[in-house]
Amino acid sequence: MEKRSFSSWLGTFIPCFLLWLLLTWSLELREIILGAAVSAIVAWFTARFFIHKKPFFLLNPVKWVHMVVYAVVLVVEVIKANIAMAGIVLSSKCKTCQSGIVLIPAGEDIKSDYALSTVSNAITLTPGTITMDVAEDKTGKNYYYVHWLDLQETDPEKAGEMIKGTLEKYAGRIWK
Amino acid sequence: MIYAIYVFIAIGVFFSFVGTLGVMRMPDVYGKLQASTCIATMGTLSITVAGVLYAIHAGMGVSVCIKLAILLLFVWGTNPVSNHALIKAAYKMGVKPYKEFKIDSYKEEEKK
Amino acid sequence: MTALIIGAIIFTVFDLGLLFVVIKGPTAADRMCAADALDLVTALALVLYSLYSGRAIYLDIALVVGLLGFVGTVFVARYLEGRL
Repeated sequence: MEKRSFSSWLGTFIPCFLLWLLLTWSLELREIILGAAVSAIVAWFTARFFIHKKPFFLLNPVKWVHMVVYAVVLVVEVIKANIAMAGIVLSSKCKTCQSGIVLIPAGEDIKSDYALSTVSNAITLTPGTITMDVAEDKTGKNYYYVHWLDLQETDPEKAGEMIKGTLEKYAGRIWK
Repeated sequence: MIYAIYVFIAIGVFFSFVGTLGVMRMPDVYGKLQASTCIATMGTLSITVAGVLYAIHAGMGVSVCIKLAILLLFVWGTNPVSNHALIKAAYKMGVKPYKEFKIDSYKEEEKK
Repeated sequence: MTALIIGAIIFTVFDLGLLFVVIKGPTAADRMCAADALDLVTALALVLYSLYSGRAIYLDIALVVGLLGFVGTVFVARYLEGRL
């Protein structure tokens, strides 16, 4: 957690104010002044949680293209996992399937906290797998502990390939 | 357009039914959490897409579409956090799984 | 459109099933998981009802219900974990 600076405050203030404008959807002077005051107070308290190093890191059109590609890949993965989950629940398999907690290593270009939380949120969002914790060993390599409902593979490398698949590659491009 | 709205509502209701049935049928808390993710992902996605299509069809204005999109973003962003917190709390409480875990790597991490 | 109100009624029936799990659930974590799912299903029913009746205020209520359910779930999970 870094010290508060003006640019990190500004980087939090602008998304808060945009969210206020989108939710109220009116351009009266009273609404705008009230929204600016509330956003300034909220950004003053929460800027140090959101922004660690560089404030305007995401202001880059190449990263927006990567984000759209990542969203499409995520939605396709979620739909596939949902159909598999429906198969488990609607059959008699839900009392008998063997679950377990596996340890899978993170990829090479997953370094920062943002990238780690993006990938672990994506793993949790696909039904059938939930990230329990993230750990780091002495050499700086990161690991996820994943609870897997329908366990098929216990080897860390192969299980990581089956759970993360292509998702991690596209997430790593955003936070490079 | 009308039939697309019907299809999306049907998909959303079906996957919410799968999530509800999973919460009622699964024997332990770990399975219940996995099944309830279905409601938050496919249920919310289909219902909001159907809502946006209906708002365009009925001419309800842009603000309704934007509120539905913000609802979808909030639910997809916050549901993993609460699921992760709940499954960790259940593990730390010592809830026994219905069938013993085939492999439990988290036990060694706990001892450190 | 009738499909919207039919969908809202079906979601309300799902709410009753989840409420049964909240009452029955063996451990506290089961109850909290069912309560989290109940919040989401209620928010979806409110979205469909607001589109049916054409009043945007129910959409705001759906947003608030979804967000407050998340905050409550995280608080109770932290308490069960023993860190609060």
